Amino acid sequence: MRGPLLAAFGVSMGGSGGPLARTIRAKLTAALQPTHLEIRDDSPRHGGPPGAETHFGVLVVSQQFSGLSLLQRHRLVHEALQEELAGPLHALQVTARTPEQWHSDPKAPQAPPCLGGSKKEQRRREEVEQK
Amino acid sequence: MRAAVRTGWRIGAAAAALRGRAGRPLSQAAGESGGAEGGGGSGSREAVERLVREHPVVVFMKGSPAQPLCGFSNAVVQILRLHGVEDYRAHDVLQDPDLRQGIKNYSNWPTIPQVYLNGEFVGGCDILLQMHQNGDLVEELKKLGIRSALLDAEKDQEKK
Repeated sequence: MRGPLLAAFGVSMGGSGGPLARTIRAKLTAALQPTHLEIRDDSPRHGGPPGAETHFGVLVVSQQFSGLSLLQRHRLVHEALQEELAGPLHALQVTARTPEQWHSDPKAPQAPPCLGGSKKEQRRREEVEQK
Repeated sequence: MRAAVRTGWRIGAAAAALRGRAGRPLSQAAGESGGAEGGGGSGSREAVERLVREHPVVVFMKGSPAQPLCGFSNAVVQILRLHGVEDYRAHDVLQDPDLRQGIKNYSNWPTIPQVYLNGEFVGGCDILLQMHQNGDLVEELKKLGIRSALLDAEKDQEKK
């Protein structure tokens, strides 16, 4: 929804990180002191305009997750990115592992394909129901 | 492409305004617990509470199980299907902006989809996927009296 506005910041698609990506990295680093951190911008795969930073995936490996349930770990990540999630960050895939877990399974899951979201909902309402 | 996205969003917002807000008295909205949370009505704490307790398995998603409109929502539907769970309550938040915001307030969770087991929030697509992979989902379903279809299958995913 705020994709077009972010695009005005002049972020080029395909770069290693626009302003939101850098913010996400900085905030997660400060909050969770990760031993490993991967940030993936999935926005181009969701039909946003060039430069839109709306859909991200993060892989956070941190000792702070030790002893915490998945729900608690994800909430910590959300807390660190509260401002962004209330704003331009529309979707966030989270993988949260302890260093031990990461060592035994150093693979990050990929995001599922976009199925259109609200944009497709409009088209669907206008067409006869398919399938 | 950009214009089409913005137009679609505007149409969606206008349609939502027609659908959701006509005729709802302000006094009623203010009187509900949580006040202006989710704009009252279908997004209020009480309304959401009723929905999550409606059935042992309740999902808030984009689109429907027959036609998910979001890859993450689709993942939830597919995982439940793998476990043979086809009888559950699914709510399409794209149809109801008040519910879309209300469910986020209720669980203090910023995204859709959201999965509730026995009225309790368990997480979104990522968590459900991990629960599926580590066997926790089979256990949680068992507690609800639901026998996962995977218990009857040959555990094919481990061979993969």
